[in-house]
Amino acid sequence: MALQTLPVLNNFTVRTALRPRLAFAPRNRAPRGDVLVVVFLRGAADTLNMVVPHGEDAYYALRPTLGIPRPDDTRAKAELRAADLDGFFGFHPAMKPLLEVWQSRQLALIHACGAPDESRSHFKAMELMERGVESERGPATGWIGRHLATLDTGNSSPLRAIGVGQLPQRSLSGSVPVSALRSIADFHLNGDPRALAQIRAALDTIYSGDDPFSVLGQDTLSIIDILQKMDPLASAPSGSRFPDSEFGLALKQVAMLVKAEVGLEVAAIDLGGWDTHFAQGASEGQMANLMHDLSSGLTAFHADLQDHMDHVTTVTMSEFGRRAAENGSFGTDHGHGSMMMVMGGHVDGGKVHGSWPGLDRGQLVGPGDLAVSTDYRDVLSEILLKRLNNPALEDIFPDYRASMKNITF
Amino acid sequence: MTLSRRDFLRLSGLVAASTALASCAPANRALAPLKSVPWTPLPASDFLALNRMTFGPRPEERLRLAEIGLAGWIEEQLAYDSIEDGGTAFRLRNLGTLGMSASDLADVSDQIFDNADRGKVPVELRQGTLLRQVYSRRQLFEVLVEFWSDHFNITTAKGDCYFLKTVDDREVIRSHALGSFRDLVWASAHSPAMLVYLDNQVNHKGAPNENYARELMELHTLSVRGGYTQQDVMELARCLTGWTVKEHFWRGQFTFDAQTHDTGVKSVLGLDIPNEGQAEAERVLELLTGHSDAATFVATKLARRFISDSPPDELISRAAQTLLRSKGDLRSVLRVILLDGLAFAEPKYKRPVNFIASALRMLNAETDGSEAVQDYLLRMGQTAFGWPTPDGYPDRAEPWQGNLLPRWQFAFSLMRNEIPNAEVNLQDLLEISGARTLTESIDQIASLLLGSPLDPAARDELIQTVQAAGADEAETMDVVTAGLLASPAFQWR
Repeated sequence: MALQTLPVLNNFTVRTALRPRLAFAPRNRAPRGDVLVVVFLRGAADTLNMVVPHGEDAYYALRPTLGIPRPDDTRAKAELRAADLDGFFGFHPAMKPLLEVWQSRQLALIHACGAPDESRSHFKAMELMERGVESERGPATGWIGRHLATLDTGNSSPLRAIGVGQLPQRSLSGSVPVSALRSIADFHLNGDPRALAQIRAALDTIYSGDDPFSVLGQDTLSIIDILQKMDPLASAPSGSRFPDSEFGLALKQVAMLVKAEVGLEVAAIDLGGWDTHFAQGASEGQMANLMHDLSSGLTAFHADLQDHMDHVTTVTMSEFGRRAAENGSFGTDHGHGSMMMVMGGHVDGGKVHGSWPGLDRGQLVGPGDLAVSTDYRDVLSEILLKRLNNPALEDIFPDYRASMKNITF
Repeated sequence: MTLSRRDFLRLSGLVAASTALASCAPANRALAPLKSVPWTPLPASDFLALNRMTFGPRPEERLRLAEIGLAGWIEEQLAYDSIEDGGTAFRLRNLGTLGMSASDLADVSDQIFDNADRGKVPVELRQGTLLRQVYSRRQLFEVLVEFWSDHFNITTAKGDCYFLKTVDDREVIRSHALGSFRDLVWASAHSPAMLVYLDNQVNHKGAPNENYARELMELHTLSVRGGYTQQDVMELARCLTGWTVKEHFWRGQFTFDAQTHDTGVKSVLGLDIPNEGQAEAERVLELLTGHSDAATFVATKLARRFISDSPPDELISRAAQTLLRSKGDLRSVLRVILLDGLAFAEPKYKRPVNFIASALRMLNAETDGSEAVQDYLLRMGQTAFGWPTPDGYPDRAEPWQGNLLPRWQFAFSLMRNEIPNAEVNLQDLLEISGARTLTESIDQIASLLLGSPLDPAARDELIQTVQAAGADEAETMDVVTAGLLASPAFQWR
């Protein structure tokens, strides 16, 4: 074992997963495009109850207790019915806050969307999706990490990409170090000016190396400085009400960073709790609460960044969908096809994209799951190419040839 | 940051008036401070070995290793029952819920404030967990407890797990952490907390719920690479129908409910299973725990925890063979992994618990493991029993990097003694070390925290910059010590 006897302060770092920043020069240079916000719904969201195919009889046959009543089903109270979107699909009642964005045509839905993986394992599916790979043999870095590494936007901000929360997401991993940030207000060192000067001197010296871990430390120090200088008035929420939740807090931080123009290009946010095997609820309940957090958060984010929507694209995704039929415990088991949402000023919105595979017996796949008709990589590739100016799609999604679905322009 | 109990009392004006406070004072107040012993620089391989087998070595552990050698140290720790650990028991004595039965725990949670205080039981469990990690002399055992708590992850945030996890922690994880893998899986499958966490209590005849059946194969035994199919998941779920948890007077006890059990014939992994009630899933448990895919999976995870994020294949296969041959004996597997594997060790990034516990242990801090320290764990992303999904906290380095700031905040706050209920007495340590000058003191502390003193040039540069920023000698000592805790080197073990 080649560990040194005399430790230097950064002795272990060269062999870490991080590689030196820009160890290879990105092949592409382009001006910065949109800020991309990626919201991952962890646990496999039941998107069939989020964007309800109320035009399908099979949906109601498969979900006798969990089905969301049709928009015109007068046997159900009006507030418990789906809100019609296009005569066939409708929003779950808890998704209604997003109707406003839908009507402004800045929200597109892609149903029956997902990955080819059929393991129905959360962990395998999430890993493959975050790495953006076809199989485990693909590169270990994340798809966002490879996006950052393959495109030189001339932006050297340590806030070029962030993972919102305590742990940066797997999708961000790669040669560009990415920091986690939960709350701008908490992102500082504590102490009086005298103590702070000493702490800062110590950290500056200790993290002065050019190895990747030291660079990460230097980035953290720069972020502290940037956030301290941020104009609190310019970045304050414009009266829009973010939900009082971790997700609301996360979106609010991202909105502040966008407005403060600190060089943010990509933010990854998680919203967990979607693994609803038991008592997920129909129009109300456990999953409805989560959807409310999601929809009111995105709506507030959209409103808060109204003047910036021209250059902000938000996408939601989940590792897979859930079984078309409800299970015996008022929940749903692991399925296949899911649904993605894309929100922004350059989105062909107010429209459900993709072809609908249907829920009839012959149309379901595996143990009774919605088929996948649009690969999630098609949606992401289009955003990366058209909105973030990165043509290196074959590096970002190796072994995959994306087809453009004209969801963005 | 949340208010500590002490802050809260102070704000309420209760501190001066309350003599009763003494009785709820942290256990450590009643103890004579843990006395440290002098330490000497260690060969890097010994420091690394101790760092893998403990939550950060104390000087006594360094001394013991020097006395009896690596193999002796491992044997002593494997026979954890014979290690005297009364001090830890004393520190835990006020955490009454740790030893309670499920029904008593339910009562405790429901009596206080009319159903409202669901915090007491999980708070005590978290506090007890950290106290054991920091103070127990059975360090290897505690490392294994943490390992299995991830492997059989349960969050206290799900349903009745807020009190059932305390029973699971005691009767599943702590009872079998260094016992047999077969017994661990068996106990976990019969554990009410696990059945609630993975929805098996609602897995009924004609209305199966696949959640537990899938994770039992994917995460607890065979792994996602094991050769099971969706059909096997559905069949195992049928075997597990009726495995549930009692309610009312017997709340929180395991039961097999024949009424909701699917009596049809099943087939799991090619094994035909006749109608025999509870014994059906138990047959599958025997099959799964003795399966070579399970042995490989567990061997891989143990090697990853102790040796390297990418452990050598040969070590994994040797450990897996041992697990199979010994019918799941975890001590035998650990001997292989530690004695054969440590030579192949690669740097492991300290997860938050390891970072905090090692700082507290190495600096001989006094703590009761309560809110203020727990709050740092939360902000670093590793609160005990707080990981929502059944895969447990990640073990590899990468997910944990990129969140340095809370570690720095902890390091500097700790050395300024600003963290309520976590006190470091650097002067005591320096006296024990016999250091006379600032330079000697820093060499001693570096040797304590990093195994051996810093390169003199790096040390002198650090002293100079801190003093140029206005630090006097005492401040320099505190800031440099905190700087060592905050340094890249201390983030790896």
